[in-house]
Amino acid sequence: MSASYDTVVIGAGHNGLVTAAYLAKAGQKVLVLEQREVVGGAAATEEIFPGFKVDTGAHRIGGLSGAVVKDLALAGHGLELLEAEVTAFLPVIEGTPLTLWRDPRKTADAIRKISPPDADAWVPFTELVGKAASFLEAAWTSTPPDVTGTDLGDLMATAKLGMKLRRFGKRDMVEIMRILPMSVYELLGDWFESDLVKGAIAASAVSGLCQGPMGAGTVYTLLHHHVGAGQGVIRPTRRVRGGIGRLSEALAAACKAAGVEVRTGASVERIMVEGRTAVGVVVDGAEVRAQRVVSSADPRRTFFELMDPTEMAPEFARKVGNIRYRGVCAKVHLALSGLPDFACRPGEGNHLAGVISISPSLEYIERAFDAAKYGRVSERPYLEVSIASLADPSVTPNGKHLMSIVFQYAPYALQDGEWDDAARAKLGDVAIETLAEYAPNVASLVEAQHVLTPLDLEREYGLAEGNVYHGEMTLDQLLFMRPVPGASRYRAPTAGLYLCGAGTHPGGGVTGVPGFNAAREILKD
Amino acid sequence: MSASRYDAIIVGGGHNGLVTAAYLAMAGKKVLVLEKRHVLGGAAVTEEINPGFKYSVCSYVVSLLRPEIIRDLELPKHGLQILPLESTFTPLPNGDYLARWGDHDQTRREIYRHSPRDADAYDDFGKLMYQLAVAVKPILAMVPPDPTSMSPKDLMGFLRLGKHFRGLGHEQFHALHKLMTMSSADYLDEWFETEALKATMSSSGIIGTFLGPRSPGTAYVLLHHYMGEIDGAMRAWGFAKGGTGSVSESIASAARGHGAEIMTEAGVAEVTVKNGRTTGVVLDDGREYSSSVVVSGLDPKRTFLDLVDAKELPGDFVRDIERFKIRGSSGKVNLSLSELPNFTAKPGVGPLHKGAVSISPSIDYLERAYDEAKYGDFSSRPYMDIIMPSMIDAGMAPPGKHVMSIFVQYAPSDLRGGWNETKREAFGDAVVDTLAQYAPNLPDAILHRQVLTPWDIDRDMGLTDGNIFHGELSLHQLFCMRPTVGYADYTTPLRGYYQAGSGTHPGGGITGASGRLAALEILKGALR
Repeated sequence: MSASYDTVVIGAGHNGLVTAAYLAKAGQKVLVLEQREVVGGAAATEEIFPGFKVDTGAHRIGGLSGAVVKDLALAGHGLELLEAEVTAFLPVIEGTPLTLWRDPRKTADAIRKISPPDADAWVPFTELVGKAASFLEAAWTSTPPDVTGTDLGDLMATAKLGMKLRRFGKRDMVEIMRILPMSVYELLGDWFESDLVKGAIAASAVSGLCQGPMGAGTVYTLLHHHVGAGQGVIRPTRRVRGGIGRLSEALAAACKAAGVEVRTGASVERIMVEGRTAVGVVVDGAEVRAQRVVSSADPRRTFFELMDPTEMAPEFARKVGNIRYRGVCAKVHLALSGLPDFACRPGEGNHLAGVISISPSLEYIERAFDAAKYGRVSERPYLEVSIASLADPSVTPNGKHLMSIVFQYAPYALQDGEWDDAARAKLGDVAIETLAEYAPNVASLVEAQHVLTPLDLEREYGLAEGNVYHGEMTLDQLLFMRPVPGASRYRAPTAGLYLCGAGTHPGGGVTGVPGFNAAREILKD
Repeated sequence: MSASRYDAIIVGGGHNGLVTAAYLAMAGKKVLVLEKRHVLGGAAVTEEINPGFKYSVCSYVVSLLRPEIIRDLELPKHGLQILPLESTFTPLPNGDYLARWGDHDQTRREIYRHSPRDADAYDDFGKLMYQLAVAVKPILAMVPPDPTSMSPKDLMGFLRLGKHFRGLGHEQFHALHKLMTMSSADYLDEWFETEALKATMSSSGIIGTFLGPRSPGTAYVLLHHYMGEIDGAMRAWGFAKGGTGSVSESIASAARGHGAEIMTEAGVAEVTVKNGRTTGVVLDDGREYSSSVVVSGLDPKRTFLDLVDAKELPGDFVRDIERFKIRGSSGKVNLSLSELPNFTAKPGVGPLHKGAVSISPSIDYLERAYDEAKYGDFSSRPYMDIIMPSMIDAGMAPPGKHVMSIFVQYAPSDLRGGWNETKREAFGDAVVDTLAQYAPNLPDAILHRQVLTPWDIDRDMGLTDGNIFHGELSLHQLFCMRPTVGYADYTTPLRGYYQAGSGTHPGGGITGASGRLAALEILKGALR
């Protein structure tokens, strides 16, 4: 029998590391167990092609909590965030492309060439998104209240959020309430006329979601991706110097500095439950006992693979079983001998410095989604392309470039066939073909290609159905419903078992907020 | 200028306007109802377009009409008789069918034939839906409070609402949250496996919406199916004897009985306003009627953007109404038939002809129908909800002949290139062709065909963009946001001007709830 710990954390994804670091800082003896050889989970940088440091999962960070960066002194542990002046470039096959800038006035100027009314609407629109996202941010950092309960603290928390909303003033308050449950299609219809402008924004709203922009609730996800973006910024694009794995390494370093033991290549087989209390885990055949177990794995893995359904109430098991994952993203990584040359905007330039978004219209994205509804891969997908080597030459060998592509929609469950090598290769080809319609030289630049299908993401990173968010970010699976009622406050029904992954409030993205919130709740008990 | 003065003038003789009129008249007020068409009822009318054959032109079933309205206005005395519509028959492309009959055990056996698991789940599902319908009912009956207001009345409203939700307990509250936010397909996936059952049940979630069964927000409307009340008995759908127009006629008769004056072929051109207060109306023909209270039963777009000069209203309010979502998605086909349709899946004439027939073989089928509409086409293989009124009420057609009422979705109001007569007939053809796949004798049995697209419904019935609910029933347009925050209590920015149509809470369907709540507010407000 091994040494015993105050807390054992399952998974060294970024949220698991955040929780571990906070608990250790509070004086606990913490062990983190990671199945893979590298820390970071889906926030990892790996050398897939020799000399190329590839962000194999997430390739940019979302609303990374400023508190986490500061509390854990991540800068001191090597974290350096890169933020380009250009957030996104929207190439077109015909007509004028669009560049989105961090400075909304520059973006408005760019839009003026496409649609003067849309240019006028841009700055006010970014203000609305900024306000609504700041409201969401307040909700992010608070534990979801028990709405039907009578806990005074909960009522206070809810009242505080209500007051936050009221402080925006009547007009904005009503507007935020109105747009939260809407589809981004409806919202953009209120504001803009240009297909390209709508496509630029709508793409962000469906990111990682098995919904098209016409699906209700997509405004919520749009706002989710804009928390912490900074005033006026649409489609925030922040990267980590050296690759996103550096964030995970900085977190691991902070953990070590706080006294956390991090073990990689350590596969947890199950959570040990004795007398309805979690007492430790079995890892590679050995028992590790602890006062409490914290899982950063997604709910399916935590409750159905690491536990036995007989260890929980049938009603709870049924709810966990009903969580929808439906991963729709694939990753394509390309080692390139040079930079893509876009026909609509030839040559090199800072337009390539943010993400390149193949989403020329809202309808284009919706059609890409249609395929996924029937279990097919989009023939013309929405692509989010990032060339990390531009801002950070350290990630590639001399003169080479690295392209990381999020391919949407690639449904986890295919109607015909399965995710075999042929399907994987086909997906890579579709990505290149699609891109080549805008930048014809791309195909000739490719030196090596690597594809991760949703099935690969599940197998490699333990993400159920390849869902990068540990569960769909839909209105019915958010807040006090995330992951399921009865476990939405980071505590599982089993005593001594906690959750800290993206499957908990406020959900997915490289934010560290679920891990942060979970640590706070654990320290309360 | 007419010398007679009224306590209140109601614009539009649709069922909600008539309900408001009846309640105001019952309270002793002098009321005038002005209806543009020659017939009362708006979208709830019966018309004999083909001599001898009576069509419930638009709305064709009754289920949600509030029982308190039936009681208060003594509608049965005024001729309202609701006949049960018990079964739903879904023919399938493979020659099989799925039926749900009036008899519970028979339905259970039928579902068991498709899936034993679903047969068990069906009862549990029904129980949960019933509980949730009970939980939602009080909310439908309350005047929505204003979330931006600090007035005691509004704060109390929210307190009451909070108490109500807390009173539901965890399980029901969470179930309700899921129902409000999920897609009907996902919601039903948690319960059932039979495609045709899921599709037919989910179809009630998409009726009147511009959404597919996989669109979040469609699960909520499933509840409506369980909220139908006929004389207080929940969960049943019905057909009004004499067609849906007899619902309107009975309400009109009740209103007249209390002294209301009702004029048809009296279209209102303008609601007149002086110093922020309404003074009366001007008709299309120039006649004027004055009253310090004017109530519009029309949809929000017509109520505020057509009837009133925009400069009389606050700019923010006008903007809110302009972006109120009101896309139309459905059409209606009414047929006169020489014989009943003979369904390949269940040949001959039988009980199925006395119930609803639903063309909804699978979720994918409905979703594909929606996909076409998303991009501006009508569905080439649409969803249809069909009844044969002459089988329920023999008076609807000459002896031996029949009428068929077909509700069709999707027909987008913003059809690519716009609607015209050719496209209307092409739409009608798509409906008949689709139906002929299940009942091959149908095309040759057609004696007369009436096709209504959203374009026709807008033009003829006065429903903007042909939206049958006076505005989409999506989360951001419900309760205190219907039609817009601050004016969900049936008032408007103009003193004396009220709204009573489906564009207000609770909206949609022949419920009369909006009309009744508006009347009660008016009696507490301007006509106290």
